[in-house]
Amino acid sequence: MGRERLLISNVRHFFRTLTGRLLASALLWSVAALAVGGFILSLVFKSYVLNDVDKRLSLLIDSMTGVAELSPKGLLRFSRPLSDQRFMTPESGQYWQISEEGQPPFRSRSLWDFELKPEVTHRSFSLKFYEAQGPGGQMLRVAERDSILPNSDRVFHFQVGTNMADVRAAIAEFNWLLVSALGLIMLTVTMSLVLQVSYGLRPLRKLGKSLTDIRAGKENRIEGEWPQDLQLLAQEINALMEQNEQLVDRARTHVGNLAHALKTPLSVIQIDVENAVDERDKRIKTQSRLIREHIDHHLKRARIAGGGSGKGLPIKDRLRKIIKAVEVATREKGVTYDLQCPDDCRFDGEKEDFDEVLGNLIDNAGKWATGHVSVVAEKLQDSARRPMMEIRVTDDGPGVPAEDIDTLFERGRRLDERMPGTGLGLAIVRDIVEMYGGEARLAHAPSGGLMAVLKLPAK
Amino acid sequence: MRVLVVEDDESLAEQIEQSLLDAGYAVDVSNDGEDGHFLGDSEPYDAVILDLGLPVMDGASVLKKWRADGRDMPVLVLTARDTWTDKVEGLDAGADDYLTKPFIVEELLARLRALIRRSAGQSSPQLECGPVLLDTRNGRVTVSGRAIKLTAQEFKLLSYMMHHNGKVVSRTELTEHIYDQDFDRDSNTIEVFVNRVRKKLDTPIIHTVRGLGYRLEWEESAS
Repeated sequence: MGRERLLISNVRHFFRTLTGRLLASALLWSVAALAVGGFILSLVFKSYVLNDVDKRLSLLIDSMTGVAELSPKGLLRFSRPLSDQRFMTPESGQYWQISEEGQPPFRSRSLWDFELKPEVTHRSFSLKFYEAQGPGGQMLRVAERDSILPNSDRVFHFQVGTNMADVRAAIAEFNWLLVSALGLIMLTVTMSLVLQVSYGLRPLRKLGKSLTDIRAGKENRIEGEWPQDLQLLAQEINALMEQNEQLVDRARTHVGNLAHALKTPLSVIQIDVENAVDERDKRIKTQSRLIREHIDHHLKRARIAGGGSGKGLPIKDRLRKIIKAVEVATREKGVTYDLQCPDDCRFDGEKEDFDEVLGNLIDNAGKWATGHVSVVAEKLQDSARRPMMEIRVTDDGPGVPAEDIDTLFERGRRLDERMPGTGLGLAIVRDIVEMYGGEARLAHAPSGGLMAVLKLPAK
Repeated sequence: MRVLVVEDDESLAEQIEQSLLDAGYAVDVSNDGEDGHFLGDSEPYDAVILDLGLPVMDGASVLKKWRADGRDMPVLVLTARDTWTDKVEGLDAGADDYLTKPFIVEELLARLRALIRRSAGQSSPQLECGPVLLDTRNGRVTVSGRAIKLTAQEFKLLSYMMHHNGKVVSRTELTEHIYDQDFDRDSNTIEVFVNRVRKKLDTPIIHTVRGLGYRLEWEESAS
């Protein structure tokens, strides 16, 4: 029952596809055309064959009438015998009969003891054809006509019959041949239709795959040659993507501008109330700090790009630069950083996102480290679905208690208020990593410090 | 110590200028990138505070041009753009430190002190020459633990010499580093200041190098 329903839904689904629609409509027309053609052919053949039979019968009846004469005694006879031997063989399928009203009929030997019933009881001098029962259960085609023999005024009823079994067999054979030929044609047509549709629609399927690749970040644009009618579509899609990217870029630029525009006046306010003593100034100080945190929070999230970027970002050089930037803050403390990274490792995503994740993590490690931070990146081999990389950032600082290690990635979560920061960094890291379908977790480093382990998509 | 501030927001520029003056720096302020670039290119600054979002020429270009021309004074970049990408690229363009807006003045001053100290080759925030001690963090000067009161100009002079301890410093160099550009300079006043500082320290650490200038040096035997 379930399987049947599945089949029905599959079939229904197939006819909703472009391939299905093209095939169905083409097949419908071919079947209709072949059926009508076949029907007409069969009809024409049948009428031709029947016509032929009738023509033969009419010739026979003519020649029979021609050789029939009355003997001087007034008996009916043939001036010369009819040539067809079949008239002599009983139940041969070829018969004649001549009858006169009130007299026993004069019959061919082939009729044996069978007597043909005249179809028309009244007198008719025109030729009539009809089907009638013959000897041995044969179905006969019969021609009959009344004739007046020359030199007399007596009316004789002439009948010629022929067995239709052969003719019917011929017609049946023809029909069978016709149906098998048409079936063969149908099969060929169907096959060529399937080929044609699948060949014709191949560029469309390729276009679909191209779009999937773009969404997966493997490609940037729809490339390559397309049939003329699809070329236009491909161009339009490319243009649309470009427009989209420009919109996103513009939005990001606006976000950046907004940050700049808001933060400078905010700096002025904060510096003004930096050494606040009265309640009002203290309130302004607190509120402006809140404003800053709100701006940071929303702008950072708005900037997260997600998604792959064409060629991927070579991370070794990028990590080196990030470390250089982080080092500035820990120069006084004398923290050393070391980096292990394969040369050809690429991040499948936006530079801004990578900077944000690693900048925050390495900066965090640097803040807590007593002397050393290590950054180790490696490609992961076992992920069959999608290439991934793992980056571990380890510090030799005090680490965190086991019960806190899972909550550190929560927004605004700060274990220690001694270090500057809004507690936003790690939450941003988690958000970005999740957007890329990666993983971020914290663990205890063997040296006692904290180790951040990242899994990110690689290229 | 003379500092250049390139910031287009006038209120913020004024606040920074005032804080720097209070902390004992000579300060020049520029409100756009082109003017700022010119000043940084032509005047000998001990440090530059550079906003990245500047009119006419943006901060990153200014910085790149200075570095390309071999200007290697320490530069503290100030920006509202606080993404890591901005930070990474700012430092890659040649900045020595990076501060995002909004910031507190204390932080700015601390970073600036550290930059100037490091570029002069000093590793400790307390500069020492024999019994004379100058704490860059609070601007206090002591001789053998006794606090010395100096005027703003005297402090700038001593601070510059303490940063360049053991090197010969010319009068012109001193003039350039303790006065801002609008000051009516007269190198003769330097001599007056040097003599006043000598008197106040009452310790022979400032030596005159004939024809060249002055040198800070503590000779154990001389005391």
